[in-house]
Amino acid sequence: MKTNEPLGLTAESLDRSSVIVWMWLVGLLGAGMMVFMLPIPRIPTLLLIFGIAGFKATLVIRDYMHLKGEKLMIYAIALTPLLLAIALALVLIPDIVFHH
Amino acid sequence: MSTAVQTASAEVPVGYESVAPPSGKLGVWWFLASEIMVFGGFIGSYVLLRVAHGGWPDQASHVNWRLGAINTLVLVTSSLTMILALNAVRIERRERAARFLLLTVLLGFTFLGVKSIEYTRELSEGFTPSSGMFWSFYYIMTGLHGVHVLGGIVLNAILYIAAVRGTLWSGNRRARVEFAGLYWHFVDVVWIFLFPLLYLA
Repeated sequence: MKTNEPLGLTAESLDRSSVIVWMWLVGLLGAGMMVFMLPIPRIPTLLLIFGIAGFKATLVIRDYMHLKGEKLMIYAIALTPLLLAIALALVLIPDIVFHH
Repeated sequence: MSTAVQTASAEVPVGYESVAPPSGKLGVWWFLASEIMVFGGFIGSYVLLRVAHGGWPDQASHVNWRLGAINTLVLVTSSLTMILALNAVRIERRERAARFLLLTVLLGFTFLGVKSIEYTRELSEGFTPSSGMFWSFYYIMTGLHGVHVLGGIVLNAILYIAAVRGTLWSGNRRARVEFAGLYWHFVDVVWIFLFPLLYLA
């Protein structure tokens, strides 16, 4: 972890971008709730709600977990299980969804 | 290569410097990778079975989405306080770091408090883990997530005590705040998906 920050860097300047990300997250939470309460068809509602959730997760992973500044190896470690979990769901679709 | 040629910082010869991430961070990411598989498996199974069974609309309509939304706000805010603690650690603002670690712990307890209110309501209305497929998934996924929140609270509480006692600031120990933060934000990300899956969909 970096401990020797450039001279003149204050907690406030470091914190500003974190607070801006939090404001985005709160705004997106509000947007998700609005979509949920509005009388719009179910499929567009679901697409919007999960799109917003994906955007929120991306913000947290990119800015709070600092993935945007990480090495390729960390990306590989994080993405491999995600792809495996998605593949697991995909291969089970024919058996579970279409046989019930 | 001549062993006389050394880097300025340590005994590592030129050309042998590690370009890999620190082992501590790698370890945390490996752990998170295993967690992705655990929660990914549950979420994938839930989505598939829910689609296959027509969405369980009668069961899913009984969860309290308002409390779920409040808990989302609480957890997102705790992610902010966690990153503010890390920012304070980076520039050696010790009191500030301790304060934000304590806030993160308190927000974690708030999350568990709201969740326990939800559980109490649902159980008193007769919705138990054996009340149907939806409720089985609901209790196991939120319960597993709750256990992770509790684990994060314990980690952050230990870091808070270390920060107050001054033992957090020696050597590489302050990196533990970054590792605990990675875990805490991951728990937040899991909830970001559980909330719409269980409360809104």
